Amino acid sequence: MTTERAIWDALEKVKDPEIPAVSVVEMGMIKEVDVRGGRARVVILPTFTGCPAIAVIEQDVREAVGSVTGVEGAEVEMSYDPPWTADRITPKGRRELKAFGLAPPTGNGPVLVTSIGLPKTALCPFCGSSDTRNENPFGPTPCRALYYCSSCRNPFEQFKDV
Amino acid sequence: MSDILAAILIALADDELIIGHRHSEWTGFAPHMEEDVAFSSIAQDEIGHASAYYSLASTMVGQTPDQLAFGREPGEYHNAVLCERPNGDWAYTLARHWLYDNADALRLEALERSSRPELALLAAKIRREERWHSLHAELWVKRVAEGSVEGRGKLLHALAEAFAEVRGLFEPFDNEERAIAQGWLTVPSPVLGARFVETTTAALDDLGLPVEIEPGAITTELIASSSGDLIATDEDSASITPAGGGLGGRYGRHSDDFKALWAAMTATYKIEPEATW
Repeated sequence: MTTERAIWDALEKVKDPEIPAVSVVEMGMIKEVDVRGGRARVVILPTFTGCPAIAVIEQDVREAVGSVTGVEGAEVEMSYDPPWTADRITPKGRRELKAFGLAPPTGNGPVLVTSIGLPKTALCPFCGSSDTRNENPFGPTPCRALYYCSSCRNPFEQFKDV
Repeated sequence: MSDILAAILIALADDELIIGHRHSEWTGFAPHMEEDVAFSSIAQDEIGHASAYYSLASTMVGQTPDQLAFGREPGEYHNAVLCERPNGDWAYTLARHWLYDNADALRLEALERSSRPELALLAAKIRREERWHSLHAELWVKRVAEGSVEGRGKLLHALAEAFAEVRGLFEPFDNEERAIAQGWLTVPSPVLGARFVETTTAALDDLGLPVEIEPGAITTELIASSSGDLIATDEDSASITPAGGGLGGRYGRHSDDFKALWAAMTATYKIEPEATW
């Protein structure tokens, strides 16, 4: 196995501490991995600029990459090129978000649908119903919005479109 | 030259930090729980944006983002006066939130075309997040405008009050013409201000809100008026007359409201500036 492949495998074990079910790779946060003569360089695309978990993720990535055999030094960079967007989440990542109880983003961005402008509804991660309503376009973290499912009567959160 | 760009980045960051700080004051106190969550989250976004702008500036000026955010004297902050005003009532909070985020959207659209790729990319990223803030502000302004007579009256009053100081957001930055010449900024602040008046007037019209806006409200020359509560803390810029109408912030001239905010905002940092969290 090449060192680069081993680094990607190591990154599969790094999770966002606020979403411990999905790896940074599945979230589409890893832009690139470069290895040159034992020096590894990883570029991360932050999901939200104000995400307080970014510093932790950066540290975890540095440690994970640094522990890969053949890597003597790890450099971690943040980039907004391109900006992270919801469509970077892999199909596996979307399934894992749902299993964690977090509805995946719609991919449509904030969309106005009613006269008072509530964002488009999300599919309930528990029962799959579309009979849901947005309770708040904001939530407990910068990346989450709050919903209620009128079908199974559970409140749930969605990873926001950005 | 990089000090010119750094000063502009710091002024942009200051707007976001100070409005973010005001939004954060609703944490635990908003009129209902969902808004407590919303304003806390918006505050976190704005302070995150400030942190990103400070980070870009930090390598140019040799100070950490924390030092820039919390280690300066009041006269060294270049945020617009509008951002530092207390939250007041719910109507003023909504009016300012709406006006500020409309202004910020125009500013970000222009910054996205900056000749400095790191600034253009950051602006593009921030702009995507800010759509959620605009959505929230629009939702509320519309809800109140179409609601009870009392709420509508309060909103109208608050919009007029906030609008009277909105031009401070379009006060030119230090050395703005040089930044424009370099392509770092792509649209002069007064031109953005004129666009803002145009779009805001149209939006108010759509909402059926009769807020009187004089045509030259933003582009009018920076008229000096002596509204008593504005303080001059920076001796070096003493030649600039204390400003009214929300002006002066870009030159470090702030209201007494800022002094109180600054004292609260920097208190923890000052206890142990080198602490890591």
